[in-house]
Amino acid sequence: MNALAEFGRFGLFVATFARASATHPPPVRRSIEEAYRIGVLSLPILLIISAFVGTNLALQGYNAFAPLGGQRLVGMFVALAGVRELAPMMVASMVAAKAGTEMASQIAVMRIREQIDALEVMAINPHWFLITPRFIGILLVLPPLTVISIFTLTVSSYLVSTLQLGLNGAEFLAYFTDTTEPMDLVYCMIKAFFFGIIICLVSCFYGFNSKSGPNGVGEATNASVVVSAVSCALLNYLMSEILFSGRGL
Amino acid sequence: MSDAPIIRFVDVHKSFGSLSVLKGVSFDIPRGQTTAIIGPSGTGKSVLIKHVVGLLEPDSGHIWVDDVDMAHASESQKLAVRKRFGMLFQGGALFDSLTAGENVAFPLRYHTRMSEAERRAKAEEKLALVELPGLYDRPTSALSGGQRKRVGLARAIVLEPEVVLFDEPNSGLDPMTSDTIDALIGRMKQELGMTFVVITHDIVSCLNIADRIGMLYDGKLIEYGTVDQFLHSNQAIVRDFLKRNADLPPASGPLIPPP
Ligand SMILES: Nc1ncnc2c1ncn2[C@@H]1O[C@H](COP(=O)(O)OP(=O)(O)O)[C@@H](O)[C@H]1O
Ligand SMILES: [Mg+2]
Repeated sequence: MNALAEFGRFGLFVATFARASATHPPPVRRSIEEAYRIGVLSLPILLIISAFVGTNLALQGYNAFAPLGGQRLVGMFVALAGVRELAPMMVASMVAAKAGTEMASQIAVMRIREQIDALEVMAINPHWFLITPRFIGILLVLPPLTVISIFTLTVSSYLVSTLQLGLNGAEFLAYFTDTTEPMDLVYCMIKAFFFGIIICLVSCFYGFNSKSGPNGVGEATNASVVVSAVSCALLNYLMSEILFSGRGL
Repeated sequence: MSDAPIIRFVDVHKSFGSLSVLKGVSFDIPRGQTTAIIGPSGTGKSVLIKHVVGLLEPDSGHIWVDDVDMAHASESQKLAVRKRFGMLFQGGALFDSLTAGENVAFPLRYHTRMSEAERRAKAEEKLALVELPGLYDRPTSALSGGQRKRVGLARAIVLEPEVVLFDEPNSGLDPMTSDTIDALIGRMKQELGMTFVVITHDIVSCLNIADRIGMLYDGKLIEYGTVDQFLHSNQAIVRDFLKRNADLPPASGPLIPPP
């Protein structure tokens, strides 16, 4: 019952935001600034995590296939698991953890310090002023971050496969490219696009509805990362089913 | 300019869940004067003032601003009303990412066609008016509590509104700074001819600046009138509130010298 009411309020919030965005000019300069901020915040951790997920995909792919004599398939494993699933999910998690929590806490602080009320009294729409640039910014930056993550984990798994596991590099690439096609990159970017929508709206929602008092900001920040990461994971499952079902080697 | 009150509360009720904050508040705020609302903290003074600009909507009742009922106003009517108002929030509500001066210039960017240089000049003029000349480039984080309030005040008046709402302009300030703010409010009223509504729990400040005083207690406006009427109220709670203030003579004695 409580969750249902919360969901209803979220719907109302999204509708308010949509109307505000549609009836105001797009804040171009501030959106680009946000995109830059979100990218800078999330990129270092994303590079590190992607690189080490790539190394381990190669190791575990090798563990799985080598006993059967199928070590050549490591490239395929990396393509299916890494490119299609882990890269978009890693991007979603890292951006939710870094940029999403920052959105939630910044907006929550503005709420409890009456800065959002001040915007209203100054006749400046706070949904447009605070959310629209973050929304455009995250949508601009998530697809390229996904491509960067895919590239990083592919390179690191290639290096581990060839230098450490002694696999044939040409074979790795052959299986890799047989399994993935350029469309997969597009699909991953579509995933990332929807993850961006979720992360931004959920984080801003919790920020806007922050309770005052010492725990308000912390609670809003926590809820934002939990709810947006879980929602992205669920959506990832649904979208993989829709986008990739039946499309293997 | 008409003699009709600029703001009119009619039987306003407001609850948050089971907490009933306003239990039927009715009063008129005259144009061009300073009206103070006092009351102990937590009685709903901030809630009351937020109804005037539509930051809160009442459960029942009306808040007329001239001929617009903020209880049932459309979004565009609310915007039109808000453009006539400035508001100083309790903590200043300055944007931390901007400097003091950028905060003051902020409304100009969205509601005027001024160039950046013109906005800066205007903001500097208002900063000088609140006795903070030369602080344009000071980061907000480097301001003291009293400076924050004064920057908030400069921002509230930068568009030269008809009405300025003050939520506890003196709270958290030492007596000296508090007096400076009172003097500032008094001077601005004379120079700018605006309507002021001041929320406070500080009776001294009230007497310094107000033309009319109301007292909010337990969800109702239990007393409302000119300063003179207020000081001679026969309401026990009002007299109690006056008596507890050390700077005032005992409630039984003459409260203000006869003219
Ligand atoms: N948005 C809100 N949601 C729930 N309760 C609120 C809200 N705003 C104020 N209150 C409650 O209403 C009461 C009056 O608050 P307020 O108007 O801030 O008092 P004050 O007279 O000190 O300004 C307090 O008990 C406060 O907790
Ligand atoms: Mg208050």
